Amino acid sequence: MTMTSRERVLAAIRHEEPDRVPIVLGVSNATGIKMTPYRELKLRLGIAAPDDYLYAWPELGTAAIDEETMARLGSDVRGVLDLEPASVLEANRARAPHADYIDSWGSGATEIRPGDWFPMVCPLRSATTVEELEEYPWPDMDDPTRVAHVAEEAARLAAENRFAIMATPWLLFPLERAFALQGMDTFLMNLALRPDFAEALLWRIQERCKILMGHFLEALGPNVDIIKIGDDLGTQESLLMSPDMYRRILKPIHADYIAFIREKTEAKIFFHTDGDVFPLIDDLLEIGVEILNPIQTSAGKMANLEELKARWGDRLTFCGGIDTHRVLPGGTPDEVRAEVGRVIEILGPGGGYLVSSVHTVMNDVPAENIMAMVDAVQEHGTYPLGRGAP
Amino acid sequence: MTGREQLLDGLYAAVLSGDAHRAVAVTREGLGDGVEPTVLLFEAMIPALEEIGRRFETGEVFLPEMLVAANAMQGAMTILRPLIVAAGVETVGKFVMGTVAGDIHDVGKNLCNVMLEGAGFEVIDLGINVPGPTFVDAIRELEPDVVGMSAFLTTTALEFARNIELIEEAGLRDRVKILIGGAPVDQALVDTVGADGFAPDASSAVRVTRSVIGLS
Repeated sequence: MTMTSRERVLAAIRHEEPDRVPIVLGVSNATGIKMTPYRELKLRLGIAAPDDYLYAWPELGTAAIDEETMARLGSDVRGVLDLEPASVLEANRARAPHADYIDSWGSGATEIRPGDWFPMVCPLRSATTVEELEEYPWPDMDDPTRVAHVAEEAARLAAENRFAIMATPWLLFPLERAFALQGMDTFLMNLALRPDFAEALLWRIQERCKILMGHFLEALGPNVDIIKIGDDLGTQESLLMSPDMYRRILKPIHADYIAFIREKTEAKIFFHTDGDVFPLIDDLLEIGVEILNPIQTSAGKMANLEELKARWGDRLTFCGGIDTHRVLPGGTPDEVRAEVGRVIEILGPGGGYLVSSVHTVMNDVPAENIMAMVDAVQEHGTYPLGRGAP
Repeated sequence: MTGREQLLDGLYAAVLSGDAHRAVAVTREGLGDGVEPTVLLFEAMIPALEEIGRRFETGEVFLPEMLVAANAMQGAMTILRPLIVAAGVETVGKFVMGTVAGDIHDVGKNLCNVMLEGAGFEVIDLGINVPGPTFVDAIRELEPDVVGMSAFLTTTALEFARNIELIEEAGLRDRVKILIGGAPVDQALVDTVGADGFAPDASSAVRVTRSVIGLS
């Protein structure tokens, strides 16, 4: 029996086997496709669609995938995003060419060579005291232009009732925001040397995040299935900070955030966290995470998909797992298909798995490998698994 | 315990705990008491750095603790470095370091710099977003024993091969060892791009560097 995309995703998250493993692509930066491979995809598929950017943000470089391409990719979700305030978008559109992009938080990106933007503008880099945080001009989260489009878009998707609706507000993540405001190395040092200050900064950010998240969820109403939050907690080899530091400082913040969201929506909590976060999975489950992304198989113990599935597969849905480190950029289409088959075989049984690339499909990934990935889901991902395409 | 031992213990503890203020103060105090700069470096700071590296490798400490220890070391080194140079202490080797073009990630690179300097290398940091020709010029002009290139992204890791090609074209490849590092780096990439080795993290950078230039 064929299901709608929405039914497929919701069944998988309920840990039931749908008709095939769902595909999550193109709905957020972390599940997105950069502009170069997107252009190549459109060319390959003969699709004429504009080169629009997610969050109306060219410097991020992630494509807003058109509907025809989304359909061809077989993506089972559709995204609802927030925007920076209209005044911030306009100020950035009107700025001098190649000048720094500055967001509503005051942090921003520098163009280090044509088209390559990196988050290098860190307005709180030298801050070490709570007084400096009190004086800082924090962004206005009540600006209605941030979410003015949200209610209508979500209602339209809900009325269509075809795709799972995934709400992906931009970086309402306390730790990531602290990195953006202070620089990653500076903030990590503050966590060690000035934990009270670091904690105060995180809670200050959290307060802003919750205001916008509140407006966003209010605009969505019941028309949302998945809400994406997160914070990158892992590195290639282990955690960014000790489990003890996470539990002491950041976990209560994440728990508070999830509780706040849970009060306002029944949407599933999708938590994005890069790197090897194996030692924190029980903590994330405990505070209410339901979908873990991106399952970075190239990082430490996250390579051990069998153990992930065995230990947490009955309670946690995994989203991601298709390697963007070597397989998607460097593999042949056959190797991509084989990898998709391998991952589905391990994570797919019993539902609880959504196929996606490990983070953004970067500019070094050939379009034919993206097609190989999604076509392999049709081939290997049809339930009952192991029988090939229907 | 003698006053000198106490002082060295204090410096060791200050670097280990990342107390930059205290590391600088104790360094100044030691120099004032006539302790040799090399003694402060080799008998207190380097052992502290080695200990934090060991704890990092065994998972007892993580990046925040590593960064603050490196920062404390750097603070004290700004005082000691000119004194050690003036005393004519020979370095173990010369290391040119940089993050490749198109990439700005430097947390790992900066940690490597501190570990290498602590291990007696002269480190020249070319910074971030370093164009290939700048690496070539640095090899020609500075004649380092080792060049380290860092990249965080799979897209910028492509620069390793391009830069090594440039170094070969300039006829300099056999004069220098090339190490690469960063998130996308593994032995397969070392083989593909024709580098001499890689370090998975800052604490092993010293070991790998010593090994490629034939030191035990």
